[in-house]
Amino acid sequence: MASKHVGVFVLFQLLVLNVVSQTSAFPTPTASTDDKTVYNRQLTEERPLQEQIAEADSVKAALQSAESKRSAASKDAGSEQDDFTMLKSLADGQKSKETTEVPVKKEDQYVPDESDSTKSRRLAEDYDSTKNGMEYGKYQDDPESFRQVDGTPLTAEDIVQKIANKIYEEDDRGVFDRIVSKLLKLGLITDNQADTLEYQVAEALQDLITKNAKNNEIEGAESNDQETRGEQDDQGSDTDAWEPPRRRYNEDEDEEEEDEDEVEDEVDRDAEEEGDTPDNTWDKGTEEGNEVSPEDGLQDLQYFPNFYRLLKSLDSEQDTQERETLITIMKTLIDFVKMMVKYGTITPEEGVSYLENLDAMIAMQTKNKLGKSLVLPDFAGPNGKNLDEDDNTKAEAAKMQKEYENLKDSTKEDQPSTETNQPGKSETYLEAIRKNIEWLKKHNKDEGKDDYDLSKLKDFMDQQVDSYIEKGIIAKDEGDTIKRIYSSL
Amino acid sequence: ASGKRGRELRKALVSVWLQCPTITRIYTIGESFEGRELLVLEMSDNPGTHEPGEPEFKYIANMHGNEAVGRELLIYLAQYLCNQYQQGNETIIDLIHNTRIHLMPSMNPDGFEKAASQPGEIKDWFVGRSNAQGVDLNRNFPDLDRIIYINEREGGANNHLLQNMKKAVDENTKLAPETKSVIHWIMDIPFVLSANLHGGDVVANYPYDETRTGSTHEYSASPDDVMFKSLARAYSMYNPVMSDPQRPPCRKNDDDSSFKDGITNGGAWYSVPGGMQDFNYLSSNCFEITLELSCDKFPNEDTLKNYWDQNRNSLVNYIEQVHRGVKGFVRDLQGNPISNATVSVEGIDHDMTTAKDGDYWRLLAPGNYKVAASAPGYLTVIKKVAVPYSPATRVDFELESLMERKEEEREELMDWWKMMSETLNF
Repeated sequence: MASKHVGVFVLFQLLVLNVVSQTSAFPTPTASTDDKTVYNRQLTEERPLQEQIAEADSVKAALQSAESKRSAASKDAGSEQDDFTMLKSLADGQKSKETTEVPVKKEDQYVPDESDSTKSRRLAEDYDSTKNGMEYGKYQDDPESFRQVDGTPLTAEDIVQKIANKIYEEDDRGVFDRIVSKLLKLGLITDNQADTLEYQVAEALQDLITKNAKNNEIEGAESNDQETRGEQDDQGSDTDAWEPPRRRYNEDEDEEEEDEDEVEDEVDRDAEEEGDTPDNTWDKGTEEGNEVSPEDGLQDLQYFPNFYRLLKSLDSEQDTQERETLITIMKTLIDFVKMMVKYGTITPEEGVSYLENLDAMIAMQTKNKLGKSLVLPDFAGPNGKNLDEDDNTKAEAAKMQKEYENLKDSTKEDQPSTETNQPGKSETYLEAIRKNIEWLKKHNKDEGKDDYDLSKLKDFMDQQVDSYIEKGIIAKDEGDTIKRIYSSL
Repeated sequence: ASGKRGRELRKALVSVWLQCPTITRIYTIGESFEGRELLVLEMSDNPGTHEPGEPEFKYIANMHGNEAVGRELLIYLAQYLCNQYQQGNETIIDLIHNTRIHLMPSMNPDGFEKAASQPGEIKDWFVGRSNAQGVDLNRNFPDLDRIIYINEREGGANNHLLQNMKKAVDENTKLAPETKSVIHWIMDIPFVLSANLHGGDVVANYPYDETRTGSTHEYSASPDDVMFKSLARAYSMYNPVMSDPQRPPCRKNDDDSSFKDGITNGGAWYSVPGGMQDFNYLSSNCFEITLELSCDKFPNEDTLKNYWDQNRNSLVNYIEQVHRGVKGFVRDLQGNPISNATVSVEGIDHDMTTAKDGDYWRLLAPGNYKVAASAPGYLTVIKKVAVPYSPATRVDFELESLMERKEEEREELMDWWKMMSETLNF
């Protein structure tokens, strides 16, 4: 039915043009306008003539190219790499093409929709513009909004086309995900319908691609790298050329977008909506231009060093697919976070820290799963020491110092007093040991335990004595005295 | 390597250890300038180990080598605790099972040796006071009072003021080896409560020792003035001499106008910069007071028994003060301890930090408090607590990390991504 419409449009366009040319002899612009208006109304109420004319041109071209190209283009829409390649090349083509084109509203680029008409119908019926009319008031200026600029509701084809165009322009499948999730969240579509939508958008996107591939100067068949390099240069120099067309769109659509901000920010795709740029750091990262190659797409990921490193580590041929998938995933995650920020679920700071944490998590997971370490190895915290060691650290140091100063030590020894003290000491120690043993006996009896084990105690004490001698807590002779006492028991 | 009295000290400690080997341990925290070991007798049900949640306590005596009473009292105390434990004294048994008690009878064995070696009964007021290098150890600690006073005026940390400390301490040539050893000791063990024992007067002295304006006498309250007064009284009230309101000053011309109920604020008595007491409070979690135990710095041996009688109950009761306020653990939601978390009390400008098992002890006088636990990367939790005189109220904290908060969103995101990728067949 889209094709039906298009066909009808074309016919009426021709008709209108004829009428216009015929009536141009009369110096009554208003009259002709009225005529146009009448004719407009017959076509469809929401379409100003200029758009119709412009559309007719492009549609004619599209029709011709689409026919020939659709069969030729057999790429799998689900292939990330191919999409990127295509999109990248097409973007370049688009860019150069659009400088010369008459500005056309995005949503008017109709491509024959080959999808099942009944499916599309369903979408349109489910979408109740009156229900959500007030809600979308604020999205008036949003190319993603569900109304056209003059306030009339979009048809299903419109939605599909808008999404396809957006994806195409931004080279990002994430656009689809984002939009669909919004639709789902708002309860406008079911999961099945989301599937359908995906199919339709993929088709529309494919058509867009093939249509523009025809006009593309750079072969889509070239390798990624070559295109990357070539386009980097091109895009670098054409950045300015790239921007104006979008601005012109804005003016035509009467949108007061802060697209000026985002034009330079390839990553910040949400920004058309309210110009609420969640994180300016991302802007900076892609300010160099709208490089759309996979390589350059990594620019906005540079703030995720671990992820970036992970990508770098996947540089073999067979890893390319995985690489691209990861990039897409990451970009979509970024988009999602930005959406959450936009909707106030989290603050921008939380968004940033969330993604930073994500990056850290990636590092951890990578380390765990791939066995590759992206970050520095952990170092043991300062609290990991055994307290016993702490307590004895001084003892150890003391011991070592003692060994070193052994000579010096001995000269201090007060020999005579040692000897006279010895018997006194022995008695004291004996007394103490005996008290302990008495207590042990009594204690074990009270608690119903077996009689204490003297040999075990002796061994333990011998060990302790040696340790104390080592640490300089007791002198060797004292230690010997103690051991002697124990052995005599 | 020590003189006669040094060996006697060691003999006494070893005897205690031999009598009570299962609840005691002797260790050394370092050496004096002349190479004498700085011995510590530790008493607990698990000597050598910090049991998570068990508060650490210390007594240090004889940092002025000629102030000898404290040194002897700690030896008596060690013997007493061991004897009482074996005789089934419930109070002592509980204390030893629930506290880790560290006793250092002499922080300045070199000075003590010098003081003790003087001939005759009457000892000079100053001989042996400082260490072998001539350093007064109670003026030798880094002066953190100055820093806290600046921070009070201009904003800044209210606790743990000694940054980068191990390195700074080791490289500081002005610090005596005894001082360094004690600083390391304070940093290594999460002491909660402490007292350092002196002689030359009879009073329990509490922070701050250094006056804010630099004047020689000025009441210098710390943020925990209320608690410190309570702690000081807990000692003095059991010492009949110290708490005697009619007690004449030690010397006729002494100014003890600041003494009340046997306690005094340090700055109000006289300003002391670089003291060990304030260093404890401002560099660590430990609350320390200074106990002056005798008018006579180095009395005759036969008077020691009297001093022991005067101080025995105070010494035990003061250890029990460690079981006051609030205590507990700070953990994450998985139950892992969070060490070095901050525990703050509303209205008291002095925060505690958790030890490596996430355990903390916050001494508080009776009252209603709001206690907050916080740590970088976590969401702060505040709890209201009604604190009795004793025992300590258990307050644990489970902190949610910021990551966990984001985790919900992340999981949502992953679910959504899963759906989309299945839909789009990535």
